[in-house]
Amino acid sequence: MFMWIEGTPVAQWVSLSLYAYPMLLSVHIVGLAIVVGIFMMRDLRLIGCFKGLDPVAFLSLSKFAWIGFILNAISGVMLFTSQAVSFASNPAFLIKIACIIVGMVLAGVIQSWLRADTQGGVDVVISRSTRTLAVCSLLTWTGAIIAGRLVAYII
Amino acid sequence: MLDSVVSFVDGSALNQWVVAAYWLWPILEIIHFFGLSLLFGGLLVIDLRLAGHFRRLDPVATHSLVPAVLLGFTMNLVTGILFFFGDPVTYANNAAFLLKMILIVFAGLNALLYYWKLSPQMHTWTAQTSPPLIAKVVGYTSLALWTAILLCGRLIPYVGEYLGTGN
Repeated sequence: MFMWIEGTPVAQWVSLSLYAYPMLLSVHIVGLAIVVGIFMMRDLRLIGCFKGLDPVAFLSLSKFAWIGFILNAISGVMLFTSQAVSFASNPAFLIKIACIIVGMVLAGVIQSWLRADTQGGVDVVISRSTRTLAVCSLLTWTGAIIAGRLVAYII
Repeated sequence: MLDSVVSFVDGSALNQWVVAAYWLWPILEIIHFFGLSLLFGGLLVIDLRLAGHFRRLDPVATHSLVPAVLLGFTMNLVTGILFFFGDPVTYANNAAFLLKMILIVFAGLNALLYYWKLSPQMHTWTAQTSPPLIAKVVGYTSLALWTAILLCGRLIPYVGEYLGTGN
């Protein structure tokens, strides 16, 4: 199947065009900065940094992170097609994808638990379970960055 | 000026160490990516609020993100200097790297404008206040500059040629 992917017109364009690969990598780095940046700020707020900052704001800021995620899903899939066979057997790549899936699922759960935590209004208390998830999320995105960077070194 | 920097760096003990330590480069890159996420993530919140989005956020409270941004910047300054020590000739002749450094200077000047002109008046803003034009300009300029800096950085390996002896 991965051989077939490498033969598709998209994969051919990505691997043969002089500009496609650097262009997609450029999109991918901006998307990374948005996704990991927003989620890291959210997680740090939830575990007690930036106390004055209203955590409710992250409910709407998270939607912004989704823009970054979509940018990276599209650019990531296109980058993947060009070397599908070697990426699919690269342990760093597989760990990276696993981290991203966990990170996005956590983002969904944190979003709903944070909404529940902040329903009361004035004095917002972040529940222990939400804080635990925030720590897991921080570790997950750290793992995604480490594994993602190592993809280039393991091929 | 750049020539004298290169001749100072090239052949220095630190240059030789970074070149010899083959495992160092990926570690520096990981830290650099982590730092850029801290910097860009913090700035997204600060600058978007500055430009008038997410008005339920207390604008003064966004100042508390500044240490995270500065931490990210410091991480990247240190790792960036080590990258430069690892391959000074290539970097000094790379258009994307040189443009990136110029843009960082502009981003710094823009941040000074925030610090001197905007930060002192932000405590008067409420959720109903539409920020002054200069706040919107500074906020969007900051995000545009840092996005361009990310792009320049990512494109360093793809423009110009490899001139160094290092990694």
